[in-house]
Amino acid sequence: MTRRSLVLIVFTLTALISRGGSALADMWQDRVKTVVAVEFFTETELDRRSTNTFGVVIDDMGTIIFPSQAIGARISPKQLEDFRIYFPGEPTTQEYSATYLGRDEFTGWEFIRVDEEAARARLVPITAYEEAPEPIVTEEIWGLGLKKKTEDFLPYFMSSRVSVLQSLPQRTAIAAQEVSGLGLPVYDQEGRFVGLSIGGFGRSFLQYTARIRGGVPVVLVNPDESAVVILAQEILPYLNRIPTNIEGRPIVWLGTNGLQPLDPVVARYLELENQAGLVISEILEDSPAEKMGLLARDVILSLDGDPLPVLKPDHVVITYFQREMSRRNPGDKVVLGILRDTERQQIEVVLEDAPLTPREAERRYFDSLGMTIREFTYIDGVQRRLDVADHHGVIAHFVKANAPASTAGLLTDDLIDEIDGVKVASYEEAAAILEGIAQDKERGEFVLLVKRAGDTAVLRVKLK
Amino acid sequence: MLNILLWVGLLLPLTASATSSGFKRLLDAVVKIDVREVSFEGGTKRFGSGIGSGVILSKDGLILTNAHVVSPEAVEINVTLASLERVGATLVGWDHWTDLALIRLDMDEIKKRKLSFATAKLGNSDKLQPGQTVFAVGTPYGLTRTVTRGIVSNARRHFEDSRGVRGYETGAFNTWLQTDAAINPGNSGGPLATENGKVVGINSRGYLGADNLAFAIPSKVARQIIGALVADGEITRSYVGIVPGVLQDLEGFYELAQNTGMLIKSVDTGSPAAQAGLRGGDILLSIDGEKVDGRFPEQLPEIQNQIASRPVGEELKLEIFRNGSSLYKSVKTEKLISRVGEEEAFEEWGLSVRKVSRTYAREHQLEKSDGMVVIGVRPGYPAAVSGLTRGDIILKINRQDVTSLEIAKEQHDAYAVAPSSVLVETSRNHRVSLYVFKP
Repeated sequence: MTRRSLVLIVFTLTALISRGGSALADMWQDRVKTVVAVEFFTETELDRRSTNTFGVVIDDMGTIIFPSQAIGARISPKQLEDFRIYFPGEPTTQEYSATYLGRDEFTGWEFIRVDEEAARARLVPITAYEEAPEPIVTEEIWGLGLKKKTEDFLPYFMSSRVSVLQSLPQRTAIAAQEVSGLGLPVYDQEGRFVGLSIGGFGRSFLQYTARIRGGVPVVLVNPDESAVVILAQEILPYLNRIPTNIEGRPIVWLGTNGLQPLDPVVARYLELENQAGLVISEILEDSPAEKMGLLARDVILSLDGDPLPVLKPDHVVITYFQREMSRRNPGDKVVLGILRDTERQQIEVVLEDAPLTPREAERRYFDSLGMTIREFTYIDGVQRRLDVADHHGVIAHFVKANAPASTAGLLTDDLIDEIDGVKVASYEEAAAILEGIAQDKERGEFVLLVKRAGDTAVLRVKLK
Repeated sequence: MLNILLWVGLLLPLTASATSSGFKRLLDAVVKIDVREVSFEGGTKRFGSGIGSGVILSKDGLILTNAHVVSPEAVEINVTLASLERVGATLVGWDHWTDLALIRLDMDEIKKRKLSFATAKLGNSDKLQPGQTVFAVGTPYGLTRTVTRGIVSNARRHFEDSRGVRGYETGAFNTWLQTDAAINPGNSGGPLATENGKVVGINSRGYLGADNLAFAIPSKVARQIIGALVADGEITRSYVGIVPGVLQDLEGFYELAQNTGMLIKSVDTGSPAAQAGLRGGDILLSIDGEKVDGRFPEQLPEIQNQIASRPVGEELKLEIFRNGSSLYKSVKTEKLISRVGEEEAFEEWGLSVRKVSRTYAREHQLEKSDGMVVIGVRPGYPAAVSGLTRGDIILKINRQDVTSLEIAKEQHDAYAVAPSSVLVETSRNHRVSLYVFKP
C-alpha cells in the first residue's frame, strides 16, 4: 500500500465514524452557527460597564437579536456603545464590531448588525432551518448554551422534554429543565426550529438552616439558561420588525393605566361567560383614551369586536391586550367594547405615538455637583401623580454618593422644581443654570427645591 | 460587723422613704383597672382583656389612667379599690396624643354599697429636678399595689411615636418624665409620685429589654387634659401640617441668628401649610410674632402645642426664613385628625376595616377620603375567598360609594338577612380591582 492510499483510507474512515456517530451531532455543529456571544458597554456617570449576552442570527445581513433584559430600564440608548460579537468557542481575542439598531417594543428584542462582511458570511440565520410544528408534551427538544467569556463562550449541548404548553399569551413550551442558553434557539429531533428561550421563571424552594427551622422561601434564578421556549409561530412573523431608529419609535399609545384583570368569579357576576375583562384604573391626561371618552373604572371587554380571551393565570390578559396594542401603529383605529356600570358601549380610539419616554429624554451629568439631571417626561408626571399639563422641572437621574448633591439630601428620582429660587421652566434652562453654578468656582452653595412622594423640601447644596 | 451596721444605720435617715401620711393617702387612691375590650382585627369582633392601673383624683370618682389602658373600644371597665372592692366605671374621654384617659366610678354603686375611697392630689411636675426621688405605684404583671422607687432621670424627654398608642399617634405635643423606677406592663396608668404622695406623672411606657428606662406623662399635661375631657369628652387640637425637625447644629448652615427658629422637616401633602406655600427646609422663626426656638428635640412639643392649642379655623401668621430672607405666610388651622379612622368588623363577610381618614388619604395621595381600608380578613370567609387582602381600600359596595361606615353597615345588614353576591370595588396603589363576596 502506498503512503498516499493510506492517508486516503484514514480520511474515509473518520468521515464514516462522524456520520454514523449521530445526526444530532451534525445538526449541533451546524446550528452553533446561528448563535453568537454579544458584548457591549454602558457608559455611566462613574464608569464604563461591559455586559455579555447571547444573540441569535435572524437574516443574511448579519442582523442579531437578543432579549432587552440585557439592557437596564434606566439606560438610554445613547449610553450604549462598542457592540461586538464573538463566535462561540473561538478565542475572544478575535472580536467583530456591530452596530446597535434599537429595541422593538412589541417583541422586546434588541437588534444589532455585524459590521464586517467576512464575519456576516460565517453566520447562519435561524430561518435557514425549517419551522417545527408545535411540539407535543413529552417531546424531546434541544438547544445550546454558551459558557462565560473566560471560557471563550464555549458552546455546550442541552436537552430536555416538553413539560407543558401554555399561552402566556404567546404560545410557549415549558421544558422539564433548562434547554438552552437565555435567548437562544431550541430545535426538535429533526433539527427544525422550535422557538427561542426568552426569559424564564425563578424556581421556588424552601431553605432550611439550623437557625431558621421553619424554612425561608427562596427563588432560584438561572441567569444564563432557560426552560421556557416561545414557539416559532410567535417569532418568525416578527423578524422583520427591525427598528429604523435606536429609540424604537413609533411606540403606540392608548393611555389607559393600571389595567387589572377580572377574576372568574367577578366575570361571572357581571355575566361575562367565556371571556375576560380588564378594569381601567386610570385614564391618562391628553391621551387617545381620554380624547375618546374612556373613563377610569370602565371594563374593557373586546377589541375590534373580538372578546378578550380567557388566559391563565388571569393577569396574562393584560399582556395580551398590551401586545395587541403595540403591534398596531399610531393612527390606527381600534374599537373597544366596554362595560360602564351596567351598560355596554363601543368606543373608537385613534392610537397615537407615545410621549417622550425617560429612555429618550436628555440627560446631563455635572461632576462637581455630583448629579445628573434628566428632562421631565410625561411618565414622570404620571408616576408622581402630578398634573401633567403644568409639568416642568427636571429629574435627579443620578446622585453621586458623598458628593455635594447627595450630602444635601438629594435622592435619585427627586423632581427638581426650582434651582436657586428660580422655577425650572425647561430642561435646557435647568442645564444652563447648573452649568453656570458648576463653572463658578467662587460659589459656596446653591439651593434646590425638590418634590418627593408628595413632599416638598428645600435642599442647600454646599460646594465648599 | 458593728462598723457596717452603724454605717447602714447612718444611711437610713438620709435615704428618701415614702412613709408620709400623704403617701399613705396616695396608696389608698391607686386602683387596679380591668378592661374588657373589643377589637376588629382578623375579620371578626374579638373580645380581649387588659389590666392597668389608675389613680382616683376627685370625690366624684374621676380616675386618671392611660389611653392605652382604657380606650373607646373598652366595653367593660372594672375598678378594684384599695379596700379590695370592685366597682364598675365608664369612660369619660381619652386622648391618645398624651396617652391619657379619664374614667368615672359608678357613683350610684359606690353609694348603694356604702364604699369609700381616698383621692390623690396632683403635684407640680415643672418643679421636678433630675435626681429627685420618685415612686411608681401600680399593678405590674397583675401584682396589685406594687410600689417601686427611682429618681427623675430626665424631666423633659422628647418621645414621639407615630403609632404608639393602639396604633394611634402619640407624644407630639408634650414632653415626658423619664424615670428609673421599675415600670413593667400593668404599671400603665398608675401614678408617679413624690415621697409626700403628690402625683407628678402618670406612668405610661418603658423600653422593653432596657434597664429602667421608663416614661411618664407630666402632671402639668394631665391637669390640662383632665379639664378638657371633663368639659367636652374630647380634646380638640388645631393642625396646620408642619412636621418639625431640630435645628441643632444647623444654625450656621442656615445662617441664622443664634437660639432661634425651628426647621420644617416636611409639610404634609394637601395640608393648610402646604396650601399656604410652606415647604420642607423652611425655617419657622415666629408664630403670630412670638419667637420660636426649636433647636433641640425637647423644645419641639411645646412649639407643636403652641399651634395645636389655637382655635380651629384661626389664621396664623408664620414668619418663615427661606433662601436668606424672611417672608410671612398666613395659614388657617384645621382640626387635627388621627391617621387611624373608625374601625368595624363585618363578621358575615369576615372583613375588618378602618375608615379612610383625611390624614390617611393625604398620606397616600388619595383623591378623596372616601372608602375604608381592609385591616384584616378571616380565612375561609367571603372577603378572604374573593381575594381581598389587608391594605386594599374598599371604594364601592354594590356600585354604591362608601362615603361612610354606615353605608357599608347597611350593605352588610342586608347581606346578613338575605345573603347574595356582593360586588366590591377596591383600590390598591391606585390600581382599581373588582371582587365578589359570594355567600
